[in-house]
Amino acid sequence: MISTNSTELHTKSAAGDSLPTATTAQSVAKISQDFDTALTQLEQAAVFAKERYQTDVFQLAGQLLQSNEGMLALQQYAQRFDAAGVFHKGPWEHPDKLMPQLVGGGLLGETVYPVLESLSELRMLAIATGKSEHAQMSAQQAIQFLRDVIINNLDLMFGDSSEASRQRPQIFARAQRLLNLIAAQIPMAGLRDEVVAEIGFIQAQRPILVQRSIDLIHYAERLPKQDEAAVSSELLETYVRALGKPGPLSQASADLTDYRRLLRTAESHQIEAECKAFAYTLQETGLSNPWHAVLLRFLGRQHPELLAMALGVNDYGIATISEDESLAVDLLRVAITPATHAAIYGFAGLLERGLLNRPAVAAGLRRLVDLDIHPEVTKLLLENYPKGHGLTANMILLAGTFSVLGQPLGIGQGHNPTCQAARGISLWSRHEPNYLLELIATAARNDLVEIEFEGVQLSSADLLGGVAGGKIDARLDPVSRLLVPHLDRLYDEFMRRAALRGEDGHKWVNRALYGRQIASGFASILDITGCVSGYEDFLRLFYASHHPDYNDEHELIYPNPVGLLITDIHGRLLGPHAVSILRVATDTDNKLRIYFFNPNNEGRQNWGQDIKPTVSGHGEVPGESSLPFEQFVSRLYAYHYSPYETGDAFAVTAEALQRIESMARSSWGEAYTWL
Amino acid sequence: MHEYNPGFALSAPRQGKIALLGYLIESFEAAHKLGLDFVAVVPPGFEVGLQNDGIDAIVWDFDLINDQSDALLQQCLDRNVRVAVPLYEECVEWAGALNARIQNNPRLFNRGLLFRDKAMMKRKAQMSGLRVGVFEEVYNRDDVKRFFKRVNEALMNVDGDVEDPVHLKPTRAAGSVGHCIIRSNKNIDELPDDVFPCMVESHLDGQEFSVEAFIHNGKIWFMNINEYVHLGYSQVLPPGPELEAERAKIRRAVEKLVKAFNMDNGVIHPEYFIDAEGELNFGEVANRIPGGHIFDLIHRAYGFDPFAAQLLCADPQTSDAELIAFFPDEVNGIQGYAGNVMIYPQKPRVTMLDVPEELLSDPLYEKHDMFEPVNAKVAERVGFGNHYGKINFYGDDPEAIKQRLIQWEKFDFYK
Repeated sequence: MISTNSTELHTKSAAGDSLPTATTAQSVAKISQDFDTALTQLEQAAVFAKERYQTDVFQLAGQLLQSNEGMLALQQYAQRFDAAGVFHKGPWEHPDKLMPQLVGGGLLGETVYPVLESLSELRMLAIATGKSEHAQMSAQQAIQFLRDVIINNLDLMFGDSSEASRQRPQIFARAQRLLNLIAAQIPMAGLRDEVVAEIGFIQAQRPILVQRSIDLIHYAERLPKQDEAAVSSELLETYVRALGKPGPLSQASADLTDYRRLLRTAESHQIEAECKAFAYTLQETGLSNPWHAVLLRFLGRQHPELLAMALGVNDYGIATISEDESLAVDLLRVAITPATHAAIYGFAGLLERGLLNRPAVAAGLRRLVDLDIHPEVTKLLLENYPKGHGLTANMILLAGTFSVLGQPLGIGQGHNPTCQAARGISLWSRHEPNYLLELIATAARNDLVEIEFEGVQLSSADLLGGVAGGKIDARLDPVSRLLVPHLDRLYDEFMRRAALRGEDGHKWVNRALYGRQIASGFASILDITGCVSGYEDFLRLFYASHHPDYNDEHELIYPNPVGLLITDIHGRLLGPHAVSILRVATDTDNKLRIYFFNPNNEGRQNWGQDIKPTVSGHGEVPGESSLPFEQFVSRLYAYHYSPYETGDAFAVTAEALQRIESMARSSWGEAYTWL
Repeated sequence: MHEYNPGFALSAPRQGKIALLGYLIESFEAAHKLGLDFVAVVPPGFEVGLQNDGIDAIVWDFDLINDQSDALLQQCLDRNVRVAVPLYEECVEWAGALNARIQNNPRLFNRGLLFRDKAMMKRKAQMSGLRVGVFEEVYNRDDVKRFFKRVNEALMNVDGDVEDPVHLKPTRAAGSVGHCIIRSNKNIDELPDDVFPCMVESHLDGQEFSVEAFIHNGKIWFMNINEYVHLGYSQVLPPGPELEAERAKIRRAVEKLVKAFNMDNGVIHPEYFIDAEGELNFGEVANRIPGGHIFDLIHRAYGFDPFAAQLLCADPQTSDAELIAFFPDEVNGIQGYAGNVMIYPQKPRVTMLDVPEELLSDPLYEKHDMFEPVNAKVAERVGFGNHYGKINFYGDDPEAIKQRLIQWEKFDFYK
């Protein structure tokens, strides 16, 4: 099933290709012969003795992978790999248990791992092209796996150079060769559709951090056009426009300065067309560009009445601006610049939430304009921004504050184990913006955050430790970068103080950290010995406090911080994770769902047992994830409830509880002792 | 690779099982291929994989010595084990203890202990008339200082001469693990407390080599001579012409050793020095599979499987006819010369692997097993164990192979 119209990918040659390698045709022939011998020896070895012969196979395979000819030669043997025992007793043994998201890491691994990972892909390719058969994996599944590998590793396939690739050119060149080989041999039609859909999944959540989407948009543009759906071509065009120059005048201008000049001499109908074009792409995609910042700054000075139009805000936004136009303009002109344009969507959200009309919020924002920022914080804030744009730490801080206030569900934890802190910032942004502004100001000015725990005022400045151990991913949004290290240390200290109480410490810590609106009741199935107990009562109480059929129709007012046991695609326990239940409601199909905030910002999750949280298509507002009620509950291990707002726990049907318990026991439950 | 004895088969089926002490796939595979019924006695954690693959395995912690040891014997007897074969240094006295009980010969245990104590082994060799260096068991730094002083006095060194070094070794460790050279009293002061008790011995000059002797019923059926090109780094076998010329003399020395240790069945791996006058000095001897992948080299050079040879020799039920059929002639049966060099990174941190074309296209080059290194600190060497890779050469000229071994040992493969 090799596609003959082999896709011509316009990929840059990675630096490693120019290195001398032992791969003339002659030496490829010789190494192939040696490989054949080594593979035959492995084939003939008794099953317990496979490992003795694997090293030679891996070593020779590694040499063949150094060139295109070698890789093609190696591919001829791929259908023999499984039976010969190439993957015997290793993590790659069962192709049906592999995860495409992990392939990139494997290809860039060290020692023998990249070779094994490459061999695994060649085996998959043999299954995909019908050269070999596997009992647990169909050709179609193998093709889908390899397509997912490509989608997850477009950066490697296109050979974009990075600091890492400059340091290890051979490894990156090998990964690029392999991905191009795969792309040339499996059907690639519709791959652009999938990439565009992936961008859609991410942007549906309206995240503050959009770098992954930006990268994917650029890669999608470079993928070959092959009978993709018209709708995704159109969508991609919109994304590309959102990152580029949506307005007619901007398209006619050479650079930002030129654009500014054109705007000043433009007719009013031209300016209005400009406003509408920018507003459209912003609201459609959640993405902005530097030209939009130039337009907004121009409008702030000359045509403040057009601001609402250029942002595409709804009636609330329009009302907010008209209530205090000068405040909106002042804030805009301080913080929205070409270098900080990413905050434009948050600024629009801030206006739509009507927050500027709250005196405390308005004052809190105004304070940030001339706040005396701590030198360490100044350094931290400026770190991620280019020099030579006249940026100050105050501008970045204010822009970052627009983002968290305007996109409370777009806050993400990045590559940090700090879901607690991200969840807190999101909760406060939605329900206590003045408090959040207070935290931001103290952290920026004094480089500390103070929160009381059971009558004792604790300051992050006096604490060490933290779940992340002080190692915070630098790619967070400015406010998260500022607050997360403080919140993480405080949370860790709270948990330390609540340890040894014989119950899950979150019972006390959540209320101390997030605020007294958190309901005082707390249920958890994990005792301090890590055993599961009282599962049925736990479930009944959850139904009685959260399920509209059993809870006397008490509405969930404040987000409920709950603990989940996250599982992988095979249902195996990955670890505990903090999310917030935002609401329980029926979706468009009249099915009861739990809508929640997941600071993990990962659109396409698969928790095994066909449990796949969705971010759109089931009535989610941007940033919400959702699952059918029972599926969500099957991963729940701790929640808060109000003891005064519970209904009829006894009435919950045994069948429903049975279904949930069996999902729990056969997934994360396997890692625990049940009492 | 040309197999010397591809059609070899046992002439009669065996009664009972053999117990293989330690985890060594090569030996398991050899037993499997010979059709010898075996049980693997392995440290905790190793049994699961074997049992999953259908191999009979007993879990045993060889480091733990208490009065429960009979339990191992009982498990072996339950399986009708007729002989225990040690695969690692640490298993030698366990094999001795089991064989002593199974074969009702208590001295087999004493011999196992003898092989495990370098000072006792040397004393035994000395008493049997073998030439050894001067040595002593030491219990503290003062003992070492006195020995160091006396050796240098005996060498008639006067104040101001560079002092002759002495060697310090643990009495119970494989090969060169824990070995260090004492060149001054300062070296002695720096010794950690936990090296004692141990032994010290005078320095022996000369070319060092090892012998792998396959013995059955007290007779040497095959004797390999392995030439250390750079001890711990590289070796070639059969040896170059100079050492090969001494084969008869070496054989006599090994026969003396076999007699001294009442060695009846199994493999011994002694090390000797040969000085400029052609005199042999005995270094030490082990009753196990040698390190440095020497068995792989023997396999390559002679075409028979030394792991299988060890099992045949260790088994009292093996017949002379089987051994005649199994072993090639030591001299006329040479198929080629095989050598290897262990590669150690030369920097404390390494990130890249660079294997030059010059090596890969050399007709004498056979294979290497180096991979892109882990981006991390290079581990400290223990004995000659944890090399990062090795390169194998094969050809018909031992001197050319030696030249390659010396050349590539110096090359920095890890950048």
